[in-house]
Amino acid sequence: MGAQPAGRAEIPQNNLDFISGSEKTHVVILRNEDLLQRNKVIEAILSLTSLRNSSQLLYLAAPRLLGGSIDAAIFKPYGIGLLLFDERRIDEAVPSQPSERSEMNQQVPQSPDPSVVTELASLRSMYAEMERTIATLREDLKAFKQDSGTHMDPTEPSPPMHITRPEPMFANPNRSAGELPSFFANNPWLDVLSKRGRSGDELIAG
Amino acid sequence: MTAPNDYRSHYTFAMDFGTSDFKFGPITCGENPRIVNNRGYFPDKNSVMYKAFESTADVIVGEDVPLYLQSTEDLSSRLVYPMRNGMIEKGDDTAWRVVSALTNFGLNAFIPKPNNGFNGYYIVASLSSVSPRYMYERLLELFEQNNVSGLIKAVTVIPQPFAVAIGHGVTTCVVIESGHGNSQVCPISKYPIRAAQVALNRGGGDANAITSEILKDTGYGDLANEEALVRKVKENIGLLPADLDTSINEAKKSPRRFRARYKVPGTRVEIDLEKDSWTRFLIGEYVFNPNHEIFKSYFGRGMPRPKDVKMGETTFSGMLDFGDAIVASVERCPVELQPMLYREVLLSGGNFSWTVPERLEDTAVDAPTKIKLLLRQKGIKNVSVKMTKSPQFSVWHGCIIYGFAVPENYEWDWQRLEGWMKFSG
Repeated sequence: MGAQPAGRAEIPQNNLDFISGSEKTHVVILRNEDLLQRNKVIEAILSLTSLRNSSQLLYLAAPRLLGGSIDAAIFKPYGIGLLLFDERRIDEAVPSQPSERSEMNQQVPQSPDPSVVTELASLRSMYAEMERTIATLREDLKAFKQDSGTHMDPTEPSPPMHITRPEPMFANPNRSAGELPSFFANNPWLDVLSKRGRSGDELIAG
Repeated sequence: MTAPNDYRSHYTFAMDFGTSDFKFGPITCGENPRIVNNRGYFPDKNSVMYKAFESTADVIVGEDVPLYLQSTEDLSSRLVYPMRNGMIEKGDDTAWRVVSALTNFGLNAFIPKPNNGFNGYYIVASLSSVSPRYMYERLLELFEQNNVSGLIKAVTVIPQPFAVAIGHGVTTCVVIESGHGNSQVCPISKYPIRAAQVALNRGGGDANAITSEILKDTGYGDLANEEALVRKVKENIGLLPADLDTSINEAKKSPRRFRARYKVPGTRVEIDLEKDSWTRFLIGEYVFNPNHEIFKSYFGRGMPRPKDVKMGETTFSGMLDFGDAIVASVERCPVELQPMLYREVLLSGGNFSWTVPERLEDTAVDAPTKIKLLLRQKGIKNVSVKMTKSPQFSVWHGCIIYGFAVPENYEWDWQRLEGWMKFSG
């Protein structure tokens, strides 16, 4: 006989515990509807990590859909196994790595790693710099808008306009001046539409 | 022949408000206009992006939209596709704000330098043929409001099937435009014959719906609610049968030849319909003709039956097959015109892009062939059915030709819904 299910009373809903000899396996199950709620997904993963001390093997069981949207390898370094299921089968996408009880029980609070502290200070400084840059950009943008607003003022008298043959002014990579697009070639509508409004050109129905 | 029109050969501007994309640009774009999604995002004013650029508009449109997108929960309420069904409700101010932002975005993308003879664009906008009069009124109002910088000299609005016919160069024809939510049949004889239009409450979205049901039935229920994935599955395994019963029988006899398999790129997900691969024929058939007995079992299990709905002054028929819809539309036209209309049936829109895989030519067909077969069942044989030359841009091409050719003194008329509306002297 393999692993035995643990007693129901101590297991939260959606979780499963199996005991095989001295080894305990804990499975947290995510259902389809849980995937629609980010908090449920985060809660499931956090609850797994919190059980590191009490179970040797930890598994997240999730609908196959999740396998398509995340890289399953992300679970490996943390020793958490991933089971993917659908209505037809269950696959072990990532095997769980057993954790050593002795190591788990000897965890003691540690003082912060100096390199992490240095990195944090560096990140704080970068953040302050970014805020300054955004403030400068904001000012520049305001100044630019005011500047362009002055030019666009419709009340300002415009200089006399010299009408010449118009040329396209914006970037125009697709067509050279004076040339019509190819869909104009032999199009009978050019003749039909140019007669709009003349007598004899009337709607047939409706 | 048309007299040369120097000014409008540079300053004609077209805007095609499609169900998914907004295509816009002046005549000088050549064959291809610029495209952005026909959508707008209403950003969370507490977001980092909004704070960083506090002058940002209330609604974001164009290529910048993805920069503002946040969680998927936000998308349903903040990301608005105003013309998903081809129509905007009269009181839907949110949708109209997106349309207004898009028109501004389009115009501001092509501002000519001043003092070069430019005194405004001739703008031709295109709407779904079933758009009620209030949509014309509201759109023309938007153009007037957005003309503060004098970029618009004159504006007009034409129905999309009419623009398709112009872009394709056919003056007497029937155009069927099939989009995501609905399809429209519109006869054209130099003018759109509005009184003969027939609208169907079926489109690409219905093919998605039956694909979703097929996925549920074949053990992929967990994927059936992902709209983008279901659409990909439809495009990759869906087939249009010449005759549904024959195609199903053949597919059941030779499941290996008809096997429907699709691996989602970049994932481990693979869909394999195996012995149920015959169901791939239901996907195409359902859009063209949902009346087959086999669909009743899907309706019985909860898939919504396409209903007749009234939007504005138009009734969209749910269950009318495409053949009946064409016949109903043509028979509302003068009898002597009817043979000429059947001789040129034009299909436009992504919903007609059905391919025929190798070795399945005996059972699967493309959209023009299917329409011909449906019309033959009604006794109409002398028919020519074609896809438009440029399915994606034919509306924009038609708008550009219309804007170039229609005389400047042909003024807007609310009865015929044509002509130029001018805003400045």
